[in-house]
Amino acid sequence: MITLSVKNLKKKIGKKEIIKGIDIELYEGEVFGFLGPNGAGKTTTIRMLTGLIRPTSGSISICGYDLQKDFTNAMMHLGCIVENPELYPFLSGYDNLVHFARMIPGFQSKRLAEVIELVGLSERIHDKVKTYSLGMRQRLGIAQALLGNPKVLILDEPTNGLDPAGIREMRQFIRDLAKNEGLSVLVSSHLLSEIQLLCDRVAIISKGAVIQTDTVHALLSSQEKMVWRVEPLQQAKQILESATEVVELEDCLITDFDANKAGLWSRELVNSGIQIIEMNRRLPALEDLFLELTGGDRIE
Amino acid sequence: MNKLIQNEMLKLLARKRLIVVGIILSILVVLFTYAQYQTVQTQLKKLGTTDWRTTLQQQIIDTQNRLSNSRIPDDFKKELEVRVKQQQYYLDNDINPAEPGAPSFTKEFMENSIDLLLPLMIMVIASDLVSSEFSMGSIKLLLTRPVKRWKILFSKYVTLLLAISLIIAMMGMISYLISGVVFGFKGWTAPEFIGFQITEAGFDASGASIIPQWQFILMDFGVVWFAAVVVGTLSFMVSVLIRSTAAGMGIILALLIAGAILSNMVSSWTSAKYFFMLNMRLTDYLNGSPPPIEGMTLSFSLAVLTVWWLLALFISFGVFTKKDIY
Amino acid sequence: MCEVFILKKPLSIVITALSAVLLCVWLGGFLYAVQTNLNVQADESKNTSQDTGKKSQAVNNEKDLKVVAVGDSLTRGMGDETGKGYIGYLTDEMKAKSKKPVIVQNLGISGQKSDSLLAQVKTYSVTRQLKEADYILITIGGNDLFQGGQTLVDFQPAAVKSIQQKYLHNLEAILSHVRSSNSGAVIFLVGLYNPFIELENGKDTSQVVREWNYKSAEAAAKQIKTVYVPTFDLFELKVNDYLYTDRFHPNSKGYRLIAERVAALLTW
Ligand SMILES: Nc1ncnc2c1ncn2[C@@H]1O[C@H](COP(=O)(O)OP(=O)(O)O)[C@@H](O)[C@H]1O
Ligand SMILES: [Mg+2]
Repeated sequence: MITLSVKNLKKKIGKKEIIKGIDIELYEGEVFGFLGPNGAGKTTTIRMLTGLIRPTSGSISICGYDLQKDFTNAMMHLGCIVENPELYPFLSGYDNLVHFARMIPGFQSKRLAEVIELVGLSERIHDKVKTYSLGMRQRLGIAQALLGNPKVLILDEPTNGLDPAGIREMRQFIRDLAKNEGLSVLVSSHLLSEIQLLCDRVAIISKGAVIQTDTVHALLSSQEKMVWRVEPLQQAKQILESATEVVELEDCLITDFDANKAGLWSRELVNSGIQIIEMNRRLPALEDLFLELTGGDRIE
Repeated sequence: MNKLIQNEMLKLLARKRLIVVGIILSILVVLFTYAQYQTVQTQLKKLGTTDWRTTLQQQIIDTQNRLSNSRIPDDFKKELEVRVKQQQYYLDNDINPAEPGAPSFTKEFMENSIDLLLPLMIMVIASDLVSSEFSMGSIKLLLTRPVKRWKILFSKYVTLLLAISLIIAMMGMISYLISGVVFGFKGWTAPEFIGFQITEAGFDASGASIIPQWQFILMDFGVVWFAAVVVGTLSFMVSVLIRSTAAGMGIILALLIAGAILSNMVSSWTSAKYFFMLNMRLTDYLNGSPPPIEGMTLSFSLAVLTVWWLLALFISFGVFTKKDIY
Repeated sequence: MCEVFILKKPLSIVITALSAVLLCVWLGGFLYAVQTNLNVQADESKNTSQDTGKKSQAVNNEKDLKVVAVGDSLTRGMGDETGKGYIGYLTDEMKAKSKKPVIVQNLGISGQKSDSLLAQVKTYSVTRQLKEADYILITIGGNDLFQGGQTLVDFQPAAVKSIQQKYLHNLEAILSHVRSSNSGAVIFLVGLYNPFIELENGKDTSQVVREWNYKSAEAAAKQIKTVYVPTFDLFELKVNDYLYTDRFHPNSKGYRLIAERVAALLTW
């Protein structure tokens, strides 16, 4: 089922077209990545999706409700954190949640305890938010986003500023939400590694336009490389070249990654008496990926 | 809507602004009470140590004698009649007219704070109400709820009205309690003179009548409230338009002070009467003080203030519901 | 968790409810004030429109000469057969000489002493009229000093002294109040003559009146644009020609003399 559908979304600020026609569809239970470098337009898009700014053109519908025409119903099914969760520092975490819960029509008060339990803030919930660590604020932010039992959760760079343990925890948390509660989660990030670990599908955005939307698996496997550190280099290159395309870079050889063939190739090399010092699957750097996708220079 | 207002109240109370306002007011009232006390003391000294009751009685008789003189003009006669009634009241209730008691002090305090002190206090609350959400960033959380924007702004506006009402009551209470300790708490039913007219033909008391002081104070508070609502709404608008609370306060402060200066200058620039600041002193119309610019009347000032008020409301809601939140 | 929920809410609910009640009260007060005052205003406009625009037109016009006279029976014109008094003659003179319309407000009260004049000038209506005046004329002190002739009949210097002190105190307050309510107008303080000059202790009484006048002139000199107008000399030689039958107030001749003297000081 499609929970969020965005069609030909555009935004002009002044004369500058910042978002140039974005189409996205989110399905129930999936984590969708929104990948792009800083300044690509991720936050601007998310602000439009959450009703904070008005699109110049295009339509957004959340669970079938048009955001422009039926704001209230659309927002009933949406939870979000745009950039940082800026909760009221002078209120306790609990009061913050009460505050936002009061804005949800027909709110059931048992949901409050549920959400607090879910994000694991029970112990500190009555402390003032100004005493919270960044990780706790992030979790409280998620708690407020989940208060209304949304179908769609939008998180803008949710791991920004967290320490590695916090990042891992957050990642797991998001995956669980999608799996256990059937939420569609849209996560923006400028880190490919994060998207890779977290998302089912990904849209890559650059300069306000989506250049590719695909499953993470498909996207990565088409772009993943194999790095060979072998001795002697030239001989190995000849052997590999008979099987696939090879690029020589410094003291390594780089081929496409193909899970089925990699074993075969290495056996061939070993049989030819070549010593394999290291063989490595390597994710392309985000910049490389962009260069490739946008038809720029290859890694050569 | 009720819940939204509860939310705004929760935030307002948590930020303790009202308490700050209360403390400021208390300090000022203590100061003014002391000043008033000093004035009263010097006055008493000047009048000598004679019993004020006999003096008062003598004055009443004098005034009554004067009233029997057919030659005095009618409007003056009316005023004398009121004076006799006031003096008689003071005598009957054992109030020394030189030490007028807490109700009178409160009335005067309100009348004197209507164009600067009270607006400042209101401004402290109003100019922060919206802009603080922007500067804290919480506006993004507030506006991504299943609630229409105008409702959110409306709840803030209602909260502002509630806060204004509360501040005015606080002001009244503080000034009554503190001054009462010094001057005594009596005098609620002292007769007051209303219905002075400052017409183009000059001063006219022919429509005047007498009401007990508490009614007069109620009217005073009513018009003070209205003036405060107008200033509050203007600050509210500035708060919607400008992210920075400090800059917003600066603008309103500058306007208020400019108004105070303008109304003190004998201004031949009569168009200045269309500024809201020059129409703030609504209490002057009740007690018969002359307006800053000739030809201004209560209905004129009310009309001017209402126009400013509607304009500010219109702009606030227009901008807020359309605004892109970055 | 729940207790806090319950604990916190009442305070804010109570305050909200209280504020709502207060809001209604103040709104009620406001409506009451508007209703009371606008009703009066409506009545007023009916009244004033009846007694024509003559008055309002005249006052509106900045080029009017506005004269406000306060004080005692001299201002009132007591003793003048024509009823004009010195104010009346002065007005005639001004109207003849000036191109501008002259508006006179005579607020004199017969028998008024300095303390009650002080109270009178402090009232709203009088202050308001003083504010708009171009010339302010004051006669005061006669009743303080003479008390209908009693003081000087049983002449006691000590008693006069204390009367004079009180009078001066009041006079200074009157002048400073008038001055502060209107900084532009010229104030004329008309001095005393001695109606008893031809009685047996005329010398003594004249001495007292001269002293009195001297002190009054000094008080006038303390305020800017405040002129003391002596009358003593006018009545010095032929006092009985210029006095009314009560031998105390001037007759029309006497008033004319005073008016001429004041008129001579007017400038326009
Ligand atoms: N208020 C604004 N006015 C003009 N340009 C803006 C505004 N906000 C963002 N931009 C521009 O829009 C582009 C996209 O910004 P943003 O959506 O914040 O990027 P991201 O979140 O992907 O890093 C940037 O080039 C930025 O400079
Ligand atoms: Mg961003």
